[in-house]
Amino acid sequence: MAPIIELKHVCKTYYLGAEAVPAVCGINLKLEAKEYLSILGSSGSGKSTLMYLIGLMETPSEGEILLNNQDVSRLSDAALSHLRNRFIGFVFQQFNLINKLTVWENILLPVKFFRGKLNFDPVKRAETLLKKFSIYERRNFFPNKISGGQQQRTAIARAMIMHPKIILADEPTGNLDSKTGRDILDLIEDLNRSAGVTIVMVTHEQDVAKRARTRIYLKDGRMVKKYL
Amino acid sequence: MILLLKDALLDFQRNRVRTFLTALGILIGVMSVVLLIALGLGLKNYISDQFAKMGANLVMVLPGNVFKKGQNATSFGVGFSGGAKFDEKDYQALQKIKLADYVVPVYFKSIAIEAQREKYFGYVQGVNEQAFPLLNLTPIIGRVFTKADVATKSKIVVLGYTLAENLFNQEPKNALNRQVIINSQRFKVSGVLEKKGDREMDSAAIMPYTTAFNRINPNKDFFSIYLGVNNKDQVEQLKREVTAVLLKRYEEDDFSVTEQTEILSSVNQIFDIINSILIAIASISLLVGGIGIMNIMFATVTERTKEIGIRRSLGATKKDVLIQFLSEAVILSAGGGIIGLVLASLIVFGIRTFFPAAINLLSVAAALGVSSGIGIIFGVFPARRAANLTPLEAIRYE
Repeated sequence: MAPIIELKHVCKTYYLGAEAVPAVCGINLKLEAKEYLSILGSSGSGKSTLMYLIGLMETPSEGEILLNNQDVSRLSDAALSHLRNRFIGFVFQQFNLINKLTVWENILLPVKFFRGKLNFDPVKRAETLLKKFSIYERRNFFPNKISGGQQQRTAIARAMIMHPKIILADEPTGNLDSKTGRDILDLIEDLNRSAGVTIVMVTHEQDVAKRARTRIYLKDGRMVKKYL
Repeated sequence: MILLLKDALLDFQRNRVRTFLTALGILIGVMSVVLLIALGLGLKNYISDQFAKMGANLVMVLPGNVFKKGQNATSFGVGFSGGAKFDEKDYQALQKIKLADYVVPVYFKSIAIEAQREKYFGYVQGVNEQAFPLLNLTPIIGRVFTKADVATKSKIVVLGYTLAENLFNQEPKNALNRQVIINSQRFKVSGVLEKKGDREMDSAAIMPYTTAFNRINPNKDFFSIYLGVNNKDQVEQLKREVTAVLLKRYEEDDFSVTEQTEILSSVNQIFDIINSILIAIASISLLVGGIGIMNIMFATVTERTKEIGIRRSLGATKKDVLIQFLSEAVILSAGGGIIGLVLASLIVFGIRTFFPAAINLLSVAAALGVSSGIGIIFGVFPARRAANLTPLEAIRYE
């Protein structure tokens, strides 16, 4: 099966003045459809940078990123934004909901940025997701008026609204108690199993990482281990 | 676009005080510019009206060179203050011009006029009987004075409407045959003129110029001499003949022979210049308002960096972010402009009862155009800063 996304010899170097700071380097990675991958590593190991490279939020300093066999590493900002909107959903540790928008408006926000004609009804899609994630009753609430678990469910619903191929989750349970964290992980796993969405989860917790089918371990920006 | 506007309005709603204060600069700027244009326009219309009411085919002899060649209209005021002082010799000389159907010497003085314990600051005008037909002045009661009154120096006055109204308990008609005191002299009111809408004429006590010679105008000079012809085509010829007569006694620069339309265009030019300067000064507040908007927009960009990152992660392009922030700046600015325009309109509406201010399409277009333009100019830098943030640095911003 052809990979959905493939990283070939990818490096990302940041510059602090004249000093070059490599965040990740020499990354080769293939992600296939319906895969569930976790990226492990300590703080500063480059796992978030890798996630953002996969999520097309960053462009590599070296190497190539292929999406559906197309090199997307040198595309324009508009083209990358479109790909993010259409194929990728993000879930963050801090939820990253917009506080001045209601749950409903937050979930529908990605629809605003889509150019063209959608092949689904976003309102029905939002309703389905809200019901599925048990937050339908909270749809007119602002994020600061609902619990952390409900906020993360809202963030996952927002990530799912455009029928993405990949969900990138950056420490999604980091701000939740253990029970709620488990519920969120169950929910993410269910999306992988039932909706066939590829999941990439960044974590530093072994227990969380072990739930993934594939694990990679990063140290000092390099992939040092791969567990299947 | 509608969604972006909704976003902007939502944001303003959440920050009402800040939004109001930011828009206030533009509001005051637009309001002052629109008001100044309205007042300037009103003043021009008012003066045009006054000239129109003076009657057609009127030629005025004024002291000084009002329209000195090679100078612009700003020399107008200088012309009034210098030059010849006309007297009876000039009047008599001009009377000999056969073409002139009317020749009126005009003495003019601002003075207190009293009656029935009331006192009103008006104007004394010393003229002859021809002033009434020449300047279209008709009485609502009584009569105007005659050639005989001029010859006999009758101690009578014809009152302007407002003057009569103020001296006689708001009943101008009551003034007839009553006495008024000017410069400690008593005069009998022979008639009251209908309202002209001209402040000077409506506040005037008009008497034979010969009567005024006694104490009110002891120097026996005239501020101006008006001439008139019934046939409009003869105005130019009359001007030439008047000039020829006066040149026998005065230098070219000592007097001006002019039609009201010439004075009008000169006055208009002066007002245009004054208005331009005032509008330029008022525009400084627009500039300050614009800088205020830029300042707040920069603060907003910093405050909302995280939000920008979230939007970018969800697929917003640089252009989406640019348009979002730019539209907020434009709405803020144009909103301030519209409110400024509405307030200026209300003020103009309020003062119209006593001053003919007018808001024209140009003011409206300028107010909206300039305020939106300011939003774009001062909004573009913060908006570009927002758009140029990389998605990652924005979303990681704390």
